[in-house]
Amino acid sequence: MALSFDIHTEQTLAQKIINLNWGLMALIFLIAAIGFVALYSAAAGHFEPWASKQIVRFAIFFVMMAGIALIDIRFWYKISYPLFGIGFILLVIVEFMGQIGMGAQRWINLGFIQIQPSELMKIATLMALARYFHTSTLEDMRRLSYLLVPALMVLLPVGLVLLQPNLGTAMIMMVNGATMLFIAGAPVWLYLLGLASLTALVPLVWHFYMHDYQKQRVLTFLNPESDPLGSGYHITQSKIALGSGGIDGRGFLQGTQSKLNFLPEKQTDFIFTLWAEEWGLLGGVFLLLLFGLVFLYCGWIAFRCRHAYGRFLVFGLMVNFSLYMFINVAMVMGLIPVVGIPLPLVSYGGTAMMACMIGFGLIMSASIHRDSKLAKF
Amino acid sequence: MSLVTRLRKARLRIEGSKRSALDMAHGRLTLIGLGFSVLYLIVAARVVDLTLLQGVLPRLNGTVAEQAIETDKQQIAVLRADVTDRNGVLLATSLETASLYADPALISDPVRVAAALSKAVPGAVYGETLEKLQRKGRFIWLKRNLTPEEQYRILEMGEPGLQFKTEYKRIYPQGELAAHMVGYGSVDGQGLAGIERSFDELLAKGGKPLALTLDIRLQHILRRETDRAIREFSARGGAGVIMDVVTGEILAATSLPDFDPQNPSAASPEQLFNNVTLGVYEPGSTMKIFSTAALLDLKNPGLGMTFDTSKPLKVGRHTIHDYHPENRPMTIPEVFMHSSNIGSALMGQMVGTEGLRNFYKDIGMLDPVDIEISEKGRPLAPAQWRDINTLTAAFGHGISVSPLHIVAAASSIVRGGTLVKPTLILNEAQAYGAKNAANESEIRIVSPQTSHRMRQLMRLVVTDGTARQADVPGYNVGGKTGTAEKIVNGRYDRQKKISSFLGFFPMEAPRYAVFIMVDEPKGTKKSYGYATGGWVAAPAVGAVIGHMAPLLGMEPHPLNEEDDLSFTLKPYLHDKKEEGGQLATFTTE
Repeated sequence: MALSFDIHTEQTLAQKIINLNWGLMALIFLIAAIGFVALYSAAAGHFEPWASKQIVRFAIFFVMMAGIALIDIRFWYKISYPLFGIGFILLVIVEFMGQIGMGAQRWINLGFIQIQPSELMKIATLMALARYFHTSTLEDMRRLSYLLVPALMVLLPVGLVLLQPNLGTAMIMMVNGATMLFIAGAPVWLYLLGLASLTALVPLVWHFYMHDYQKQRVLTFLNPESDPLGSGYHITQSKIALGSGGIDGRGFLQGTQSKLNFLPEKQTDFIFTLWAEEWGLLGGVFLLLLFGLVFLYCGWIAFRCRHAYGRFLVFGLMVNFSLYMFINVAMVMGLIPVVGIPLPLVSYGGTAMMACMIGFGLIMSASIHRDSKLAKF
Repeated sequence: MSLVTRLRKARLRIEGSKRSALDMAHGRLTLIGLGFSVLYLIVAARVVDLTLLQGVLPRLNGTVAEQAIETDKQQIAVLRADVTDRNGVLLATSLETASLYADPALISDPVRVAAALSKAVPGAVYGETLEKLQRKGRFIWLKRNLTPEEQYRILEMGEPGLQFKTEYKRIYPQGELAAHMVGYGSVDGQGLAGIERSFDELLAKGGKPLALTLDIRLQHILRRETDRAIREFSARGGAGVIMDVVTGEILAATSLPDFDPQNPSAASPEQLFNNVTLGVYEPGSTMKIFSTAALLDLKNPGLGMTFDTSKPLKVGRHTIHDYHPENRPMTIPEVFMHSSNIGSALMGQMVGTEGLRNFYKDIGMLDPVDIEISEKGRPLAPAQWRDINTLTAAFGHGISVSPLHIVAAASSIVRGGTLVKPTLILNEAQAYGAKNAANESEIRIVSPQTSHRMRQLMRLVVTDGTARQADVPGYNVGGKTGTAEKIVNGRYDRQKKISSFLGFFPMEAPRYAVFIMVDEPKGTKKSYGYATGGWVAAPAVGAVIGHMAPLLGMEPHPLNEEDDLSFTLKPYLHDKKEEGGQLATFTTE
């Protein structure tokens, strides 16, 4: 035990670089590259306005990801709670100050990039939860009082995001948190109770919380053809685009639905449609396959990790990453209502890309430092 | 608790915590992993579903919508067959046009679109269009059959909610000229009247044009002359027929007032009504052709047989008058020539109720006329045929038939005595001069002798009788006038007449029948106030013959008085001296 501790905590920088997950980085690069191709096509064969910026951002964040990966996991472990605190304050600032000072915007402008605190808060929440469950025992998990803290860690930011209102992000945060608690061993009856109360809450939420546009989205989802020009427009056009792609697609730069602007938000939320229209079933399945490999890779990292913090963190980030992908792809294919969720690594957008790359940086850090000894106190 | 024990406890917890929550939860991890795998599979399956099942496969067979459009196209891609006259002149043809419809669900700004449409398409009223665009459905016709220029202007608008459907517009190049015979169709291309209706299925199949027996040149002459008579005598309407008595072909048929088949919805019921085949009227004296033929054929009397027309004929509580009684017995040619009602009634009496009724039945006067259009009137005849009915039917009252009945039946009599079937459809091998084998009918109505007698009698009407104005030198016209009082509120109204003339030429070997009927003509100064068949219809028929005979290449054959058909009848006339220009001496009803 002591031996392994000595060997693995005292890696040189060179050793760490060698230990970087090059396979995972290759997958990430491939997925991002698909995004570049799609964005280039979305601008009808131009790097401006999307592809060029996305490439530059990816390059910056790629370096950032490597940097995060090389930093010792114990550092991330230590600053998990402080990060959560900072994130929470930022969120409060945009929620409350933002409403007074900057209208209803969800952004903080850092000059070179605009940041959506809720995106970063998702990662900070996962780090804090992993930190908390790192020391938990099975006996702890049976005490409701013990579960109160992680529950608040999830519910407070979720509440703030709901106020924005940003239902999609709030829901992902909820599912992230619930999954973490579930893996940590929270009693099953809690989930059954939660499910029951959610079912009871649905009508109340429908009547008192949801905005008309959100109600409309749900109604449209249930019957997209009811309003093909309004809320159902996205989905109808998206389905048409996918259908027109067929097996091998319409070809690079040949997607008519997206080119002729039938498809809205083609560079962000509906980029999967654009990709699949031009590259067809094969292209779509290839992209899904890459995502699948990323998930497997992350799962493998989690299982090899010797400390609970790393395993929780990697699982949490993986769940978060997967949820984004599933929700986005399911949405553009009309399986679930339209929610503004981007496709990770592929959709145009700085914050999403940054959050994603930070997440992968942390995952790789957990991988490089999988044998680090983390105190239980 | 001492520090030592606390530390020991803590160490114990550390040992115990090797089995951290995560380690305990392998089952849960597997569950989560499974859940995500299922999600992954669902998403992947959906990609296959949208691209392959909903994308490619339907395209191989055509999507449901495409198939619908495809079958739709097949249905209308067959261009409805043309209708031509006997010389190949187009009477009805189909043009491919675009029709405009809107999908209101795809129109985001109805106000703007309605405003733009009202500018682009003449006749698209702003308010009306806006109302249509704001409706709930997914399909609303805006305008059928656009002109190419209108379609271009709409395409220029680039409005995705405005779409076109290819349709075929039926065009009637001859306008109203043969409207009642050719007929018309609905906007959806379904035949609603005339040949368009009766041959709807055949025409819908497309293919070769359907050639009618009509000759558009004769049609024009007939319509013009009928119309002229109607205008001259301020009449309500009229009808005209030209028939080839040898083949039974209808060469022209007109019903006035008529309408533009392009736009039948704008026409009044009177305009749409077919006076030639659908309308039934009491024919008046033209009916005497049949009662006289029946007498000659069945009783074989000498032409010199006389009938006492000196006093009104009393039958039960009815009295039959002549307008201008001659107050003396009349021979058969005199009765026919002067159109004596009393004489004809007595002839009918002689033929007998059974005989006359059967004769009328044989020549088709009691059944709808046999012709290839659907608008056919059923003759009105007494249900209980009593003796009085026989007397009135003999001079054309108490029985109503269509003009085509008269033309067809009389043609059968003058063409040699065999039944002729009128037709509107040109047999392919047929043309002018070629005999129509199909109409070499063996159904004999009257003997050739009776036929010849009738030709003589009808020629006499023109040379010496009521229809002198119908004569065209060299073409030896024969015929019979008819003037019937219309029944208004159950009583005969003397002021309201139906005046007609049925002429044949050349009488020595009749080839063509020309019939004109005028509804409610009013006498003019020129006609000395008369509005009878002889004054109204006979001159019109004369004019038609005068124009059509040269057109058909018939040379005039002027005959000496002795060679004229009517010459041999002269000995039977007692009042030759009195005739001198006194056209008002005949009686008619």
